[in-house]
Amino acid sequence: MSQFTPNDWAPCGAARQESDQVSGASTSYGKEVLCQFARRWTAVLGVLLVAVTLVLAIVGPIFSENSYDNQQRTYVSTPPLLPVYDVGGQHYYVSTSGKLLLVDGEGMLQDAAPSLGEERENKRYVYELDGETYYLNYRSSPFTLEDAQGRQQPMTRVWNRRFPLGSDYLGRDIMVRLMYGARISLTVAFVATLVNLVIGILYGSVSGYLGGMVDVVMMRVVDIISSIPLTMYVILIMVLFDNGGLTSIIIALGSVYWVDMARVVRGEMLSLKKQEYVSAAHTMGSSTWYILRRHLIPNTMGPIIVTATMQIPSAIFTEAFMSFIGLGVSAPMASLGTMCNDALETLQIAPYQLAFPAGAICIAMFAFNFIGDGLRDAFDPQMRK
Amino acid sequence: MVKFIVKRLAMMVATLFVILLITFLIMHAIPGGPYSAGKRLPEAIQAALDEKYNLNAPLHVQFWDYLQGVLHFDLGPSFKYEGMSVNDLIAQGFPISAALGIFSMAFTLLLSIPLGIIAALKHGKWQDTFIGALTALGVTIPSFVVATLLDYFLAYKLGWFPVFGVATLKGYVLPVIALSGFYLAFMTRLTRSSLMDVMRSDYIRTARVKGLPEYKVVFRHGLRNSLIPVVTVLGPTLAGLLMGSFVVEKIFALPGMGRFFINSITNRDYTAIMGFTLFYATILVVLVFLVDIVYSVIDPRIKLGE
Repeated sequence: MSQFTPNDWAPCGAARQESDQVSGASTSYGKEVLCQFARRWTAVLGVLLVAVTLVLAIVGPIFSENSYDNQQRTYVSTPPLLPVYDVGGQHYYVSTSGKLLLVDGEGMLQDAAPSLGEERENKRYVYELDGETYYLNYRSSPFTLEDAQGRQQPMTRVWNRRFPLGSDYLGRDIMVRLMYGARISLTVAFVATLVNLVIGILYGSVSGYLGGMVDVVMMRVVDIISSIPLTMYVILIMVLFDNGGLTSIIIALGSVYWVDMARVVRGEMLSLKKQEYVSAAHTMGSSTWYILRRHLIPNTMGPIIVTATMQIPSAIFTEAFMSFIGLGVSAPMASLGTMCNDALETLQIAPYQLAFPAGAICIAMFAFNFIGDGLRDAFDPQMRK
Repeated sequence: MVKFIVKRLAMMVATLFVILLITFLIMHAIPGGPYSAGKRLPEAIQAALDEKYNLNAPLHVQFWDYLQGVLHFDLGPSFKYEGMSVNDLIAQGFPISAALGIFSMAFTLLLSIPLGIIAALKHGKWQDTFIGALTALGVTIPSFVVATLLDYFLAYKLGWFPVFGVATLKGYVLPVIALSGFYLAFMTRLTRSSLMDVMRSDYIRTARVKGLPEYKVVFRHGLRNSLIPVVTVLGPTLAGLLMGSFVVEKIFALPGMGRFFINSITNRDYTAIMGFTLFYATILVVLVFLVDIVYSVIDPRIKLGE
């Protein structure tokens, strides 16, 4: 026994301390989720896109002198990149309605040049530009500008300064209309989220927490609501409010859009309410409402946020879809769906009129889907290392 | 099993009744709706409506009358087209919409499942990336944009397909592609993720250890279980295809039910709106019911009646 000295029983200090050291500051749950989210470039891109859209939709229209419903009939269907004829140093654009428009040095469309008359038999208008005679030939589309010998004039392309994204078939500014359309899409997204967060969470948590007969009845109601597609409700509510436009879409979304969220929250509640801390709170005399608010709802926040984000693209899509088939916002208000529908008329001569609103819808869908995917993975503990 | 079916059947009837009640009440609430007197209508239609709906009777009697009509598959006269009943309108449009729906469903299933399998088996390789990019496009581009682009490029510019109408079978090709786009992408994703989940499970390892050839492992053991989630979304998919046909029928000018329905709304053809709503709802509810039954039959793990 003598080979041990009292020193052998001394605590081995330093080595222990090192292993117990916490390396790095502790992170809260929310912070960790945020880090995980920021690690995906698609998710960050989605947030950026939404932010840019939001800013453009809110303040964009202020900076343009055009309004969404101002029809400038001189400038119907002008593309963003104007094909112009160069005559004596001046640029002229031949509009689809057969007018000769002067384009100044900055690419600003000016008024129509005065015509000397029309030669119906030759299907052309006569113009005098720079001291010589020119003919605007409307025999075949696209219309051309020819000189007296019938030669087509040299062409260049300049950017359209009056309408940066072109004008539609009624001479309205597509860029401004896009911004107003984005406003509507974002309004719809906001309403859908609000309804999800308020009605969906309350309904789902009450149903899941109370259980029993209450749960059965509440879930049957949800089953009935969700067995009919949303489009159907929107149509019925449209009919009820007689061309309510945006209001009826919002009412329709608001009245039925919470069912998915209610299901998700209920499912979470069912598993959470059996946890010990809920029983503990119950034993201490907390009221049902207090337990829901203080313990259960905060703990389901992950799935709630993910579901809410995933619902946004479908809400935006529903609005665009309804407006496209003529059941959405009423003219002259611009929605991305109505703009797509308007563009169908002139698709053959002006495909860009479809490209911009359709592209905007796709970008919105991409952005919110990216954010949703990012959030889902960020909240999923299995994705963490 | 019987208990389960009876329960679901009762649920289905209840749903339909609620829908019937809601549509009836909404139509009642509309000023100038089919049940309000004192609007300017052609004499013949007004007479037909009065006779049909017993407009002076109390509300519950009118509802009872309407219910009886519906139970006898009589949806009443059209509000706009003199001499046409809503049944006639449905009979005209339904065959085309149904063909469109069936073709789209078949197209979706036949293409999405193989694509999903390829993506899952080649997980992380270029095939997977490629299919992933395609499905991302499919989920985000709205059907009406796809339909317009297809119509513009393939039909109008290249002339490969008729620009509108379904006089020949070829006319169905573009509408079916446009209609299925979203669901094709969605189901491909679903098949991929579910097959990947299944391929990680223990019984697949057992099958491999037994020395089964890979194709047997995938198709006999893996695929069967991985298709269960696909079956569960068949119901909502059918619903989506039916609703989506509104847009596709509009763009390709197909004389289907969706177009009649939209027209009836813009024309305020109230009886037709009610009839179409009920008809759609019935189809949907019945189809979802059938899918539920199939679902519980193919997956013995699902406890029936619970």
